[in-house]
Amino acid sequence: MKKRKITAVLTALAVTAGIMTGCGSGGGKGAAADNAPAADKAPAAQESAGEENSGETASSGEAQAVTIWYYWENEGHQVTLDQLIQEYNGSQDQYEVNAKYVPFADFKKQLSIGASADELPDIAILDSPDHASYVAMGIFEDLTGKFDVSNYYEGTVNSCTVDGKLYGVPFGANCLALYYNEDMLNGAGCSVPATWDELKETAKALTTDSVTGLAFCSVQNEEGTFNFAPWLWSTGATSYDINNENGIRALAFIQGLIDEGVMSKECINWTQGDVMNQFIAGNAAMMVNGPWQIPTMQSEAPDLNWKVTLIPRDKEYASVLGGENYAVINGGNVDGALDFLTYATSEEKVKFMMNQFGYISADKTIAESQFAADSPYYPFVEELNYAMPRGPLAEWPSVSDAISLAFNQVITGTATPENAAAQAQATIDGIVK
Amino acid sequence: MNEEKRLSTKKNILFSAAAVALLCILLFPLYWALITSLKTEQEIFQNPPTFYPHILNTKSYAAQVETGDFNMFRSFANSFLISMGATLIAVLLAVPASYGIAKYRFKARKILLLSFLVTQMLPVSVLLTPMFIMFKNMHVYNTWVAAVLADATIGIPFSVLILKNYFASIPKDLEEAAYLDGCNKFSAFVRILIPIAKPGVMVCAIFSFLYAWGDLAYGMTFILDQEKRPITAGIFNFMGQYGTKWSYLTAFAVVTIIPVALIFIFMQKYIVSGMTSGAVKG
Amino acid sequence: MTKLKKLFRYENVGMLFVLPAFLYMLIFVGYPIIHNIILSFQDVNAGNLVKGTRNFILFDNYLELFKDSVFTSSLWNTLRFTVSCLVFQFVVGFALALFFSQRFSFAKPVRGILLVPWMIPITVTALMFKLLFATDIGIINFILRSLHLIEKNIEWLTTPGTAMFALICANVWIGIPFNMILISTGLTTIPKELYESASIDGAGKVQTFWKITLPLLKPTIESVLILGFIYTFKVYDLVYVMTSGGPVNSTHMLSTYSYKLSFEMFKYSKGSAVANVLLVILLFVGVFYIKATTEEETD
Repeated sequence: MKKRKITAVLTALAVTAGIMTGCGSGGGKGAAADNAPAADKAPAAQESAGEENSGETASSGEAQAVTIWYYWENEGHQVTLDQLIQEYNGSQDQYEVNAKYVPFADFKKQLSIGASADELPDIAILDSPDHASYVAMGIFEDLTGKFDVSNYYEGTVNSCTVDGKLYGVPFGANCLALYYNEDMLNGAGCSVPATWDELKETAKALTTDSVTGLAFCSVQNEEGTFNFAPWLWSTGATSYDINNENGIRALAFIQGLIDEGVMSKECINWTQGDVMNQFIAGNAAMMVNGPWQIPTMQSEAPDLNWKVTLIPRDKEYASVLGGENYAVINGGNVDGALDFLTYATSEEKVKFMMNQFGYISADKTIAESQFAADSPYYPFVEELNYAMPRGPLAEWPSVSDAISLAFNQVITGTATPENAAAQAQATIDGIVK
Repeated sequence: MNEEKRLSTKKNILFSAAAVALLCILLFPLYWALITSLKTEQEIFQNPPTFYPHILNTKSYAAQVETGDFNMFRSFANSFLISMGATLIAVLLAVPASYGIAKYRFKARKILLLSFLVTQMLPVSVLLTPMFIMFKNMHVYNTWVAAVLADATIGIPFSVLILKNYFASIPKDLEEAAYLDGCNKFSAFVRILIPIAKPGVMVCAIFSFLYAWGDLAYGMTFILDQEKRPITAGIFNFMGQYGTKWSYLTAFAVVTIIPVALIFIFMQKYIVSGMTSGAVKG
Repeated sequence: MTKLKKLFRYENVGMLFVLPAFLYMLIFVGYPIIHNIILSFQDVNAGNLVKGTRNFILFDNYLELFKDSVFTSSLWNTLRFTVSCLVFQFVVGFALALFFSQRFSFAKPVRGILLVPWMIPITVTALMFKLLFATDIGIINFILRSLHLIEKNIEWLTTPGTAMFALICANVWIGIPFNMILISTGLTTIPKELYESASIDGAGKVQTFWKITLPLLKPTIESVLILGFIYTFKVYDLVYVMTSGGPVNSTHMLSTYSYKLSFEMFKYSKGSAVANVLLVILLFVGVFYIKATTEEETD
């Protein structure tokens, strides 16, 4: 213990001394040379430096490092990705892939800072609506012609396409649909709702002292926008055109759900995971959520009797496309990244990954044969036909922010649907035009 | 003298009872976290809430040790190492600095004092990018050294500002007596002032340690490898887009808190005696 | 004359003591501060973070901010939050410090244990309070309902006004031990003889407090309040975890808004500008503090 402490002090002092002589003049390089003893005492520093080098200069016989950043905290997802990587590493000896978990809440920050400091991975697996922003940053490699995405769902390909160039490969697709607690529905003598009016009536019938009829994540961020989009689009409004009869009707519908007590105001604090917890605890009779919840629901609440259906419609069925894209960082180990992606996007591997993840393949042919008709995943494949992507737009985060503010204002009663729509529109016009 | 000041038995009991009541109220959130960590997710959502776990669930604790890349013990050791390092730097640099400011009337004093304050005036988020670039150039990015260096920047100014009052409250006579005994400035500082200011130094060490212990932004940003990250980073493993599992989160909270709390409760004999046997008691 | 010479040497020695710490801070925080000021005068966003030219647009970011309603409400929120927290945690912390300075049997152990809230990483505290203040499963609503103080659950974190209240509660909970321990340490520097002679003079407890305790604690109190102000004013983790600035931006603070602009919306320069506004406000507080403390020393 004591020895460790002393080492810590020495290292710290050596480093401090190094900086004081080297970094004060503004050059980091000098400091690096000066503090060689510090590097000796911090094996970790050497390790990462070594990794970097092997990535850039391939010494014969030694595998080149390929680093992936991803944000799934779900253990099943992590294990599955790890399995894929192990298989890949075992299948050849030119590249050595390793994946690093960067929490979702930290992902954008880490990529931004990494871009400023030129310290990025070779592959990023990122949330599809953010893709365009990073393309604008200029950190992604142009993959046009390197992957055959002609058979992929159009929305998924669009999310990684900017100015006709492909800057990523869809990892997998998902969308939102309506889950319902079948026992509760039967108990109340309701049938499965298909329209907004039916949904509201059903939700009312299902609401009791301890149960709210409907729940969906309404957090004021991208996750909330994701969950509000199906309602907005179902009216015929678009993400950029809200201040009209349609957009206002969508907002007013949500307001009605809250005012009549069939949906809890708490939804603005519930992530999709929280919503699922409410649903499996029997506190919500219906919820809007994605297919990735199914593995957890099956293991945590095996006795719960639930089914999935299309999100009820206003004018037309609508859902929102989610999922991640692979992107290759330019300036990194591009060859290694491409080699791994070619491996990972093969039909066999995609099937394996999607089934383990509870995702739907972005490849239409795979998706259509992925699930049996009685699988709980099947309705999601059907819903995917109505699913549209957010963006793609480099400024999407700002548009999304305006939209999520609008429905949060309505839910908390701090603005009428009309005012909220007008305010959101003003912000969006400032961004898009 | 102590005997005189002691309270009557009746008052003693009354005060002690009040203290215990206060303790219960103030520490209730901790109790609640503890029992929540032992409930199943379903029981957590039960209405009305249960005040002790009806079905004991220890799954959340098992998960702390064995989930994927995240290892509780390793993260704990990382946090400890980082916090100790930051505390040492902070105390080593801040003790002399606060002494200098408290006992010497040089012109740049005010400016120096203000500049220590200024370093604490920016939110951490805007410090991250430039610090990151600096650490990368120093080749300490993705090592605990980066977190130590960054965490010490919270402890140093804080310690300087607290300790300067301490040194200022020490009468000049003591120091002058030391000079008469043949001490020079440095040996007077080391032999007389530091021992006298020990309670203050202790408090600074504690605060520096805890600031570093509670740090999330620096540890998360400057250390990328899960196995080198501090314990606070674990919070993201259980919180995020795909679910907030209260039993896991609270188990995480309990595991984060208990060992540190134990260390401090064990050490409090020294801390509290240091605090109450004030420097200038005479 | 020799005295003056001695004084001059004295000064230099003082500088030497301060220098290492000063250089350390200069390198690790000084550079980031300058970096940040420059960034706030540019127009950096996703498009030109890595490539492309960064234009100097001087005060445009700042001018834009004052037209931005989220910014102005963040500013107001931060002030409101800081002042409320300081008042509550200082009063309660002071009272507890006085209470535990009495020599009853449990004083020392209980005071030691009361430090625990301060030891907990803020993110963890934030989670605990989020759980306590939850509408349906939250214990606070349950207690209030059981006491028949409320009939319907209060939606603490989803109503603008009460969300701020919940944040203040959580922060005060953390701040009480902070105030208590620093004031306790301050109390130990007051010579016991003063109290003894005061009681011989027949001074009452209240009188002793106002005439002896408070004046002698002045430097400690100033430190506690100013440090408390600075650390509370840049509150981040707590708000981020408990409300993320919501509902409807009603609990956004300057720090959380700065983060959101920089790392969620890729408006790096605007985010820096918000941080600098925070810096300038705290600078005023800092100058005031330095003036107050150094003036009384020269007296």
